[in-house]
Amino acid sequence: MGFKIAVVGDQETVTGFALAGATYAHTYTTKEETLGKLGEFLASDEIGLVLITHRVAEELGYDFLWMMQTKRLLPLVLRIPDKTRYVPKVDELREIIKRTVGVEIMIRKEGG
Amino acid sequence: MAVPLAVPPTRMELLKLRQRVGLAQRGHDLLREKMDALVIEFFEVVRRIQEARAKALEQLSVAHRALSMCFAIIGTLETKQASREAKRELQVEILTRHIMGIAVPAVEVEEIERNALMRGYGLHMTSSVLDEASREFERALNLLIELAELEGSAFAIARELEKTKRRVNALEYILIPRLKEAIKFIVMKLDEMERENFSRLKRIKAMLEERG
Repeated sequence: MGFKIAVVGDQETVTGFALAGATYAHTYTTKEETLGKLGEFLASDEIGLVLITHRVAEELGYDFLWMMQTKRLLPLVLRIPDKTRYVPKVDELREIIKRTVGVEIMIRKEGG
Repeated sequence: MAVPLAVPPTRMELLKLRQRVGLAQRGHDLLREKMDALVIEFFEVVRRIQEARAKALEQLSVAHRALSMCFAIIGTLETKQASREAKRELQVEILTRHIMGIAVPAVEVEEIERNALMRGYGLHMTSSVLDEASREFERALNLLIELAELEGSAFAIARELEKTKRRVNALEYILIPRLKEAIKFIVMKLDEMERENFSRLKRIKAMLEERG
């Protein structure tokens, strides 16, 4: 079964991924509207992957994190940087590692 | 400090408790092993994520640069128009794989890069920079899908890891010490009762000897 791809973000990101073949696109306007749209995407059965820019995700704040906690396995949600290459300072994966394993780890290149 | 369970000090209860400790110990060992295996799995995924992320982000910035060129050369409105006309039917296969009983996503994607004719926008009004931008974004999307799969697995494994860790700790620091405390309590109590009985018997014997 095939799943479709949705994009939430600023104009450029949305345009770019639409050119690449993403079926659903939503340009960030207001927090409420975007939250509603995102909820729709997450509830849909035909969407398998939602791309959202870090900046928008941060704009949505706690509501977004709550949605991430409560969503099902699908669709996958991936946060991507926008054209300004904006990535938040706190790396979420590193936070998770710190919480679960209890130590901070650095992964080096093998043989390094 | 381990608070002992409230148990009646009987031999029957002692046997039961010993069995429970054995069971808890076995469960603890199994969970420990599971946790170790999960940690190994998790690090493998994290290592792959870092590689995949570096590649995907690099490609994404290349794509954004190409798109900016496109905006500049053929115009913002025209580019957006083309993006609306483009065929947007991309499909990905997402299956769930099971690693040690955890459902993790496995994404498969077929041909993501298309040629200019398959993209669906009109060719006579657009320029090659638009094709360029589309191609770069297709490549970026391909890498991002891979990254999404890995991140999805990492989150699923992390969640399971957290759960397992809580269970291991609950067994190790709460349940097993409590059971051991309870066993100690019963053994002490039984010994005490035996001593009481012993002295009682002695006393009775002395009384009988006095009378007889």
